[in-house]
Amino acid sequence: MTKFTLLTTWGRTMCAAVVVSGWALSLYAADSPAGATSATNAVETAASSPVPGAAAGKKQLTGAELYSIHCNRCHPERYPTERTAAQWKTIMLHMQVRASIPGKQARLILQYLQENSGR
Amino acid sequence: MKKTTNTSRWLLGLLAVGCAAGPLLPPSLSAEVSDADFNALKDLVQKLNDQVQSLRQTNQLVQQQHAQDVQQLNELQSKLAETQQTATAAEQKSDAAVQTQSQPSLRAPLDEATVNRNFQILGDAEFQYINADHQNGSFLLSDFAPIFLYRGGDNILFEAGFDTTLANNAPGSGGYTTTFNLSFAQLDYVITDYLTLCAGELLLPMGTYSERGAGWLNKIPEDPLAVDALLPGSGIGAELRGALPMGDAGKLFNYSVFCVNGPGSSDGTGNAGSLDLGGNVGVRSDGIAANLHNNPGGGGRLAVFLPFKPRYDLELGVSAMVSEWDNAGSHLWSAGVVDAALHLGPNFELKGEYIVSRYGSDDLGTINQYGWFVQAGYKLAGLNLEIPGINNLEMVGRYDSLHDGLGTTTDRYSIGGVYYVTSALLLEGYYDFINSTDPTQPSNQLILQISYGF
Repeated sequence: MTKFTLLTTWGRTMCAAVVVSGWALSLYAADSPAGATSATNAVETAASSPVPGAAAGKKQLTGAELYSIHCNRCHPERYPTERTAAQWKTIMLHMQVRASIPGKQARLILQYLQENSGR
Repeated sequence: MKKTTNTSRWLLGLLAVGCAAGPLLPPSLSAEVSDADFNALKDLVQKLNDQVQSLRQTNQLVQQQHAQDVQQLNELQSKLAETQQTATAAEQKSDAAVQTQSQPSLRAPLDEATVNRNFQILGDAEFQYINADHQNGSFLLSDFAPIFLYRGGDNILFEAGFDTTLANNAPGSGGYTTTFNLSFAQLDYVITDYLTLCAGELLLPMGTYSERGAGWLNKIPEDPLAVDALLPGSGIGAELRGALPMGDAGKLFNYSVFCVNGPGSSDGTGNAGSLDLGGNVGVRSDGIAANLHNNPGGGGRLAVFLPFKPRYDLELGVSAMVSEWDNAGSHLWSAGVVDAALHLGPNFELKGEYIVSRYGSDDLGTINQYGWFVQAGYKLAGLNLEIPGINNLEMVGRYDSLHDGLGTTTDRYSIGGVYYVTSALLLEGYYDFINSTDPTQPSNQLILQISYGF
């Protein structure tokens, strides 16, 4: 097996794994009972805002909850008041890419940060 | 007013003359004034006195009215001056508006990408002191590492990180050297909510440390041995990355696939010692743009992020990369990383990586390398102790190990802590216990560092 063949084989395998895994997990995401884990996410920030979809038996994480989930993974949490709403928009796009946060979750976090921003 | 005063003076003078002349008159003459006349005269004097008092009161009222009139006059004059100023300003604005209308209209920004507020600076700065066995203690490091961000709309971001450090020159030469490195510089285009294209000098997602361990992000000043020795921190190329949500509970499937130039050879040969993980940036020293070997390298990372609730989560990932590395393209370099991170509340963190690497060489055949680290931190705020300052303290420990495949094995135990002055200003102190077969390595060392993230 030549080096190029190795690279090609490895690349194909990697791409196939990503595609198949993404497809399978997307199906899982679509069929997953959203309310199954919602109870464990009703934490201290849950009371800060009404839960969208609660009336339909589903609970979507709030921006405050997602902020607590993601920001603490890499660094001490920064106060929303430390930046302006415009600054948070740029920083949040950076974090969306760096921490691989889905766009919808990133927008909810951004909304939370901007609503509580310094100016 | 003056007339009234003269009259009263005249009457009072007449009265005084009368009173003074009274005793001087002969008794016969005084006796001729009857009581009726005297009373009439008395009443007259009394009336005159009353008139004098009334005139005095009238005079006071007139004076007060005069003072009020003067005050109103001053106020009116002041208002008149203000009105004149306003009129002058309005006239100037009117002239300016006329001039503006007569000029061609300014070009309006096409979109928010042209607005300067999209520019932002993040980053960190570190100042480090180190005292190693058998060496002079020194202020080792002054590091300024800004990250420049420019957002070009809602889905385009350019980001670049720099690292500026100072270091003493080698023995025998004076002065110092300032190094200025480009850590990464990449353009990010968010294609969908779940897919982003990155291109440029990329931080490679081999494990998580290279992307999340810079500066103040990591709680221990030094990088893990295996991360520094076995993995390229960055590479020039392109990357597709993103995350797929798994349900509505915040669980994610993360993926990344990248293609970069890959490692190079420091001298062009395939000898084991010339492997250069940080080289091969696409431009040769003679100015010709070229990959040092024929084919690019590639790799990727797959991971799952499982939050149980905010601040309670587990992340598991596996990543791999393979590339030619010598100029002739006759040898492959490859590496794999398994990473894990666990958070149990806001006070406890456990993370680690296991790294393996292998590459072929002309002189030593296949070199197999491996290393790993595990790091734990606990914030004493979780103990709920009523001791001043203790809630800002986090105790951190790490064990890391490196087997370089060339006969050197190094184990290091790091114990210390972080004092959070604020969430962004950290005072760090660590003591390393080092066991190495390399005699040039110190056995123990103390490291103190001030970190600031901005």
